[in-house]
Amino acid sequence: MTCPLVQPGTLGLDVTLPPEWDWTHLQDVLQQYFQLTESWWSPASPVRLVTGARVLSTEQLAWLAELLQKHDLVLVNVQTEVRATAVAGAMAGYSVAQGERPAQAEPLGAPALYLNHAVRSGVEVRHPGTVVVVGDVNPGGCIVADGDIVVWGRLRGVAHAGAGGNSQRLIMALEMAATQLRIGRLVARTPANVAFYPEVACVQGDAIVLHPARDFGRTTPGGVF
Amino acid sequence: MGRIVVITSGKGGVGKTTTTANLGMALTRLGRTVALMDADFGLRNLDLLLGLENRVVYTALEVLAGDCRLEQALVRDKRQPSLALLPAAQNRNKDAITPEQMKQLATLLAEKFDYVLIDCPAGIESGFKNAIAPAQEALLVTTPEIAAVRDADRVVGLLEAHGIRKIALIVNRIRPQMVQANNMMSVSDVQEILAIPLAGLVPDDERVIISTNRGEPLVLEANLSLPGIAFHNIARRLEGEKVPLLDLDAPYNTLMGRLRRFFSR
Repeated sequence: MTCPLVQPGTLGLDVTLPPEWDWTHLQDVLQQYFQLTESWWSPASPVRLVTGARVLSTEQLAWLAELLQKHDLVLVNVQTEVRATAVAGAMAGYSVAQGERPAQAEPLGAPALYLNHAVRSGVEVRHPGTVVVVGDVNPGGCIVADGDIVVWGRLRGVAHAGAGGNSQRLIMALEMAATQLRIGRLVARTPANVAFYPEVACVQGDAIVLHPARDFGRTTPGGVF
Repeated sequence: MGRIVVITSGKGGVGKTTTTANLGMALTRLGRTVALMDADFGLRNLDLLLGLENRVVYTALEVLAGDCRLEQALVRDKRQPSLALLPAAQNRNKDAITPEQMKQLATLLAEKFDYVLIDCPAGIESGFKNAIAPAQEALLVTTPEIAAVRDADRVVGLLEAHGIRKIALIVNRIRPQMVQANNMMSVSDVQEILAIPLAGLVPDDERVIISTNRGEPLVLEANLSLPGIAFHNIARRLEGEKVPLLDLDAPYNTLMGRLRRFFSR
């Protein structure tokens, strides 16, 4: 399931809970996600919780509200397909919408996600736009973006740009030592000898190729020079 | 209130329990009172390493159930009366206790002791969550192996997500000779990935195995061995002293060694 957990919605933020994930896993993922993106969302943003077919207890709902509050976000709305969750939400005083899943926000227009924090092993960041990381992406860490990926640091984990299938997207890193690079539907490994200059990965033909960053703009059509 | 420190690693067998036992002992030698809390329910080892196995009567679970007072469950060390151990139950598993109960016990201990050291079980499941719930700071133990470092990196992320920002690194079981020959990750390789401050380095040493088997922590020896000094230094750094890192390379960093390395490149 390629469901972004958090994305800008009609109200403020949409937090989607994938129904097949078990609760403790979800807790871990959400905690890490908000820790990582804390400085990104504007303070006191309203949050709509999209729970789909998941049944949420009153305690679980309270836990989520507390987590959001800790990161200066406000839970205001619960969108669910399940009556029990709707009841729990209404009892806790949130506005509730029961019914079919709402249409997801148009991913292409999503603003970039800016992380000024290292992405460590076990952390997966999914975003329907471009992701900028100021810090390292460690081995075992993973970034999946529908847009470009810019790593102002060492990229040693997995990076997937153009996850929606767009092979025109780029991956840029100060040190390109990724475990795996994916752009659109293509996959590549980085060379064993890591270059000591910043590099850009893009798709040419049907392969992912690396360019030194300082030449990229000059040699690539549509570049900035 | 005392400081509540969790000693954790992610991967098993890297030396969490050994570190807890030795660090606890070293802190008492610096004049501190220390309570060690075994959070490894069902697989408790800390009592063995301290040589206190046969003096365990009650465990943390009996305290929580109200079957005994906290003082009754605490095992005082005969060699260092300012060190006490709160044993885990051996006949139960990790779900026998909740994070709230761990917090409750650790807070009670922190009222009476300068330090509460929590020995965390391996893994990142409920046992880990119990162990880190009460902690204000963490000591992360790792060995210079990619698997241990990868797991440690994951644990740093989880600790930060749980609001524990004060994390220091202990690199255990370093073999300077192998590092010099480029056959083992160096401390700077480890630090480059984890990017957290270093609390200390502990060299690999057979005496560690002997001391754990005997139940006598290394820092108790009259003439401290190299790993003993290393643990003692970590305790001093915890106390806020500035202690330079041990130069483990010294015996190998001779002129001949350097020449040999230069030509073998």
